[in-house]
Amino acid sequence: MIAPETPFKAKIIDVKQETSEIKTFTVQFLDKKQQKNFFFAPGKFMMLSVFGFGEMPISISSSPYKTDSIAFTVANVGSISNALHQMRKGQEIGLRGPYGNGFPLQKFRGKNLIFVAGGCGFAPLRSSVYSFQEKKQEFKDAFVFFGCRSPKEMLFKTDLKQWEREEKMHVLVTVDEPTPDWKGYTGVVTKLFNKIDLPVEDSVCLLCGPQVMLHFSLIGLKKLGFRDKQLFASLERLMHCGLGYCAHCNIGQKYVCRDGPVFSGEELAKMPLRED
Amino acid sequence: MNYVIEKADLPNWLDLLCKKARVVVPAENDLGASCFQEFKGQQLFLEARTDFSPRKFLLPAVEKMFFFRKKNFSYRIEPLGSKEPTILFGVRPCDTHALHALDELFIRFLGEDQYYSTRRKNTVLIALLCNKPCSNGFCTSMGTSRPVDHDILFAERETDFVVSPVSEKGKNLLHKNFFKQTKDPLPEQQLNCEKELLTEDIEDNLYNNFNHPVWKQESERCLSCTACTQVCPTCYCYSSDDCFEFGSANSERARFRDSCQLQRFSEIAGGHVFRKSRESRLRQFVLHKLSYYKKHHNLQLCIGCGRCIDTCPVKIDLTEIANTIQREALK
Repeated sequence: MIAPETPFKAKIIDVKQETSEIKTFTVQFLDKKQQKNFFFAPGKFMMLSVFGFGEMPISISSSPYKTDSIAFTVANVGSISNALHQMRKGQEIGLRGPYGNGFPLQKFRGKNLIFVAGGCGFAPLRSSVYSFQEKKQEFKDAFVFFGCRSPKEMLFKTDLKQWEREEKMHVLVTVDEPTPDWKGYTGVVTKLFNKIDLPVEDSVCLLCGPQVMLHFSLIGLKKLGFRDKQLFASLERLMHCGLGYCAHCNIGQKYVCRDGPVFSGEELAKMPLRED
Repeated sequence: MNYVIEKADLPNWLDLLCKKARVVVPAENDLGASCFQEFKGQQLFLEARTDFSPRKFLLPAVEKMFFFRKKNFSYRIEPLGSKEPTILFGVRPCDTHALHALDELFIRFLGEDQYYSTRRKNTVLIALLCNKPCSNGFCTSMGTSRPVDHDILFAERETDFVVSPVSEKGKNLLHKNFFKQTKDPLPEQQLNCEKELLTEDIEDNLYNNFNHPVWKQESERCLSCTACTQVCPTCYCYSSDDCFEFGSANSERARFRDSCQLQRFSEIAGGHVFRKSRESRLRQFVLHKLSYYKKHHNLQLCIGCGRCIDTCPVKIDLTEIANTIQREALK
């Protein structure tokens, strides 16, 4: 019997430089059958190994309707992600998963989807936006609020441009540090909420981003009248197993790997998110 | 049917067992600390509960998981793991409960953890009843003064042990040359621990008092030395890392015991530490033992051995923290 911690080999088939520090890696399992049987819910994550350097939890950023390959959008912030950033097309990595619960998009049918993303936190949300695109007729409108450091640090530029043009999609981007040629919004992502008429009824919010951004976005959305059960946030914690054993991702009575990473506002209210 | 074995015969029997398996016994190390060691004829330490639990024989401090062998630019993944049969002798009742709690997580709850469960299934557990309560133990409060899941039970008398086999696996080890049948029952001991922990609704009461001043007050003198998590028989948290073999492109992945008392335990890439203060880390330790695990598994992870209290260099006492909150909550 194979231990669940055993990674499966996968090959990098494409590397795309998103920003100076962020790359999107598209990979395929070496075992064709495994790739064929692979499926996931948007918001799930996988444990990605760089042999010789270690393993890290990374959210899937590709479409759940396009599973001939899997994409991970990774910022170069740690030793393992740095090692991954040095890798090229054709090289091998290890993969296991997917793990976690993901966003319950089935339950969101007939509603407006409001995406609030900060920086690299856009990666786990992108697969949900793709799902919306794929099944537009099942939902009302989609609002994408995206905040990033500077126009240079903007992720998924081609996607954003494409979505701006599409029907039923409203895209608003803001940057913290604008360049002279920047014509869009400046400031934190919460400032975008009153730039557009947001429908509170029949809407759900999907959030992902740094701790501070999540904290203030949840407050901002609640001020607009959103209730806890309309809010869903994906959390980031250190993980070493993804299975519920290593206990690094423990927050109060929840484990981010096995109970999350997506938690509803009702759950978040009971969790000690800020322990320091 | 019970058996007796003379105290003088015990080392000879253990010697015999060594032919079948790795035999692990309580004994003193060179520094004078009592811990579990492989039996090689040394003097046994049977006077009291050991300073260290037998945890490391089921959850080693460092455990190799796989080997990544690089050949022709492609990796081969070779799983590692130990199947060595082990006999744990002289395990105190509290420590059998510790293994019971770990079994719950690593074997029954999420599906088996291959490394732990292989080792656990190849382990024979020989428990030894306590004659007297230990200095900081509070097993009577935690309901862990009688052993569980053991294969054989030993009880000490003046010159011999009364032995009661529980499982078939255990019974097969009782060699006729050393064990005589007896009608004597196991000596009945009533332990009276001095320390007490108020356990009524403790999981909710502690969690609901997440910001109680006692956390800050007690943690002010904490040194983050991790001694509590080193000696705790149920501290199972781990990290994993790859070790690179220089010269070849081979590497192996190992997991090692980690401690929630360190900042790095909750540090994510990019440098954000979720539990920066000692207060939050001490609270994590106590709540994991007395609240979170109970909520998930309906079992207390703290088994009342009192080792963390014994070992703490600044005398932080888990029972005092919990009782302070409990006394207010149960009023």
